[in-house]
Amino acid sequence: MTDMTTQQLGAAERHADTALHEGAEERRLGLWLTLPAQLLVIFIALFPILMQVYISLTDWSPLDGIPWYRAYELWIGLLNYVDLANDPRFWSALWRTCIVMAICVPVQFLLGLGLAILFVDDFPGRRVLYSTILVPMMVVPAVAGYMFFMLFQSGGPVNDILSFFAGRPVTIAWLSDPDLALFATIVSDIWQWTPLMFLILLAGMVSVPQDQQMAAILLGASWWRRFWTIVLPRMKTIIIIALAIRLIENFKVFDNFYIMTGGGPGVATETISIYIYKVTQQELIWGYVAAIALAILIVLSIVSALAIKKLRSVQ
Amino acid sequence: MTEIVMRNLGKDFGGFTALADMDLTIGSGEFVALLGPSGCGKSTTMNMIAGMLDPTHGEIRFDGRMMNGVPMAKRGVGFVFQNYAIFTHMTVRDNLAYGLRARGVAKPEIARRVGDIADLLQLTPLLDRKAARLSVNILQRLAIGRSAVVEPAIFLLDEPLSNVDAAFRAVMRSELKALQRQFRQTMVYVTHDQLEAMTMADRIAVMDHGKLLQVGTPLEVYNHPVDTFVARFIGAPGMNLLAGRVTSADTGLTVDLGAAGHCPIQAGQGGEVLFGFRPEEVHPDPKGPMEMTVTTVERIGARTILHLAAGSHAAKVVLDSETAVPDQGEAFRFSVSPGAVRLFDPQTERAL
Repeated sequence: MTDMTTQQLGAAERHADTALHEGAEERRLGLWLTLPAQLLVIFIALFPILMQVYISLTDWSPLDGIPWYRAYELWIGLLNYVDLANDPRFWSALWRTCIVMAICVPVQFLLGLGLAILFVDDFPGRRVLYSTILVPMMVVPAVAGYMFFMLFQSGGPVNDILSFFAGRPVTIAWLSDPDLALFATIVSDIWQWTPLMFLILLAGMVSVPQDQQMAAILLGASWWRRFWTIVLPRMKTIIIIALAIRLIENFKVFDNFYIMTGGGPGVATETISIYIYKVTQQELIWGYVAAIALAILIVLSIVSALAIKKLRSVQ
Repeated sequence: MTEIVMRNLGKDFGGFTALADMDLTIGSGEFVALLGPSGCGKSTTMNMIAGMLDPTHGEIRFDGRMMNGVPMAKRGVGFVFQNYAIFTHMTVRDNLAYGLRARGVAKPEIARRVGDIADLLQLTPLLDRKAARLSVNILQRLAIGRSAVVEPAIFLLDEPLSNVDAAFRAVMRSELKALQRQFRQTMVYVTHDQLEAMTMADRIAVMDHGKLLQVGTPLEVYNHPVDTFVARFIGAPGMNLLAGRVTSADTGLTVDLGAAGHCPIQAGQGGEVLFGFRPEEVHPDPKGPMEMTVTTVERIGARTILHLAAGSHAAKVVLDSETAVPDQGEAFRFSVSPGAVRLFDPQTERAL
């Protein structure tokens, strides 16, 4: 009996061994078979970045007459990065972009959340209003830029409305006053992107289980308590996703700002994207642009990584 | 402990009548099961008691107090949802404390009462666990505890065992019954499972198509169904109903069942009837007055179920597995004692 058990065990072990061996072999074959596809993916994902790293270490410009792959002839090492660190215009554009984000994203979030609260329950005309609210999101950002460019003209509708309420002619130069110009561009961004926040947050709010809310009501919880203890905690994941999407997108804000003010007056509304655009198109120092782009990529990667980490801990 | 009175209660959804003219009084501390197939109006009734739905007509009173229009938060009703509706993003402790916090109870008092209820429901070791990954029976106890801790006068349970597999259901049935004895609250229990209703409830309210058909103790409903629906719905299998004709002879009244023979009865008037008898009330009897052919023999452990047919009649018979039973295709002779016979009007389907 014991013998047989031992024998059986031995056989089982041998079998397991073979299986393990076969498994390893199968994995190796799998690796070979998928290798071309994996290399392609890595190439597609990494090539532009690697090229940027390469260019950023040179003083290359398309006007030099040297093809990009011979840019090493203009190798300058980390000099672009040193320049970048000492470029006040870069830092002020970065700082301005952060201010825009710090105003736009929270305002969009709060407005979107408020609208979502209003739209989560049915009311007459809900569908029509819902579609209407989403319209700004569908507008091409450049067109939105033109709309607000016209709205904020000193003889434009905004001033007309203000005149009506003030009872005297108001002629504020929205787009040529440095502070007001930033305000006007921020308003256009909020107008355009609150609907997206609303859409995402409403989807999250609708997915909060109805019976849990019923249970909370039956336990005597007020609307506020239910909102804080059931609705918001259950929306945590979607809130983080919505904020991350808007932060990353907002950081790259360009179209409407550029069309409304061209980054001006002076550099009053010059965000990081507008700054890069100007350096690329107007000054054509591409090695330097590559360095800026990489610096921004690193910043955004850190932000995304933090958001993803937060998401993981929530889930 | 609260008495629930429903008078002329009804609910229409558009043109559809979910509940029609319900009159039912549920006594203080009583455990009443609302029993019926899906769509019978039992959940509608319960949702109106809870205040989730407004009645179209009629009234609901708790201890005489009119409840129509009173918001559900103010009714003092505990509700255990079919899927328990546990706040899975919170700990067990936070779930239990939720109602007390919402009512602004002082912290030490909350700690004491949550501790008490957790002890009672054997949830103490789990208090700091997240509720997301608890097993179904713990979720159920937690759902009951979360409602019970605020001491509602009325407890409503909406098919709380329908998500549970059959083996576990038996355990939960006795657990629930024990909990009801401890809490002594008025309990209304919605179910489509007659076994749950029979084993737990003090009284059963049988419903169908938005109508309350019969209210009574489990045995009353089982022994004296008011109509053929109740007769068929209660019991597993339900009552046999064979078309027959009452005739009187020198020996007394009998029901002539045509191909199935006949059966003596105690009382009744001449004419067409539906002859009803419980599958359990059949006595195998070689000289018995009834005879039907066995079509199927179902052996289910302690019991054997015979499926019988004769002419247009079909019936089921439940016997002890020790009883010798004929094989499929053979004739089965039996008798039904006159006291066990129930007669129904074939037109109105109501008990005679």
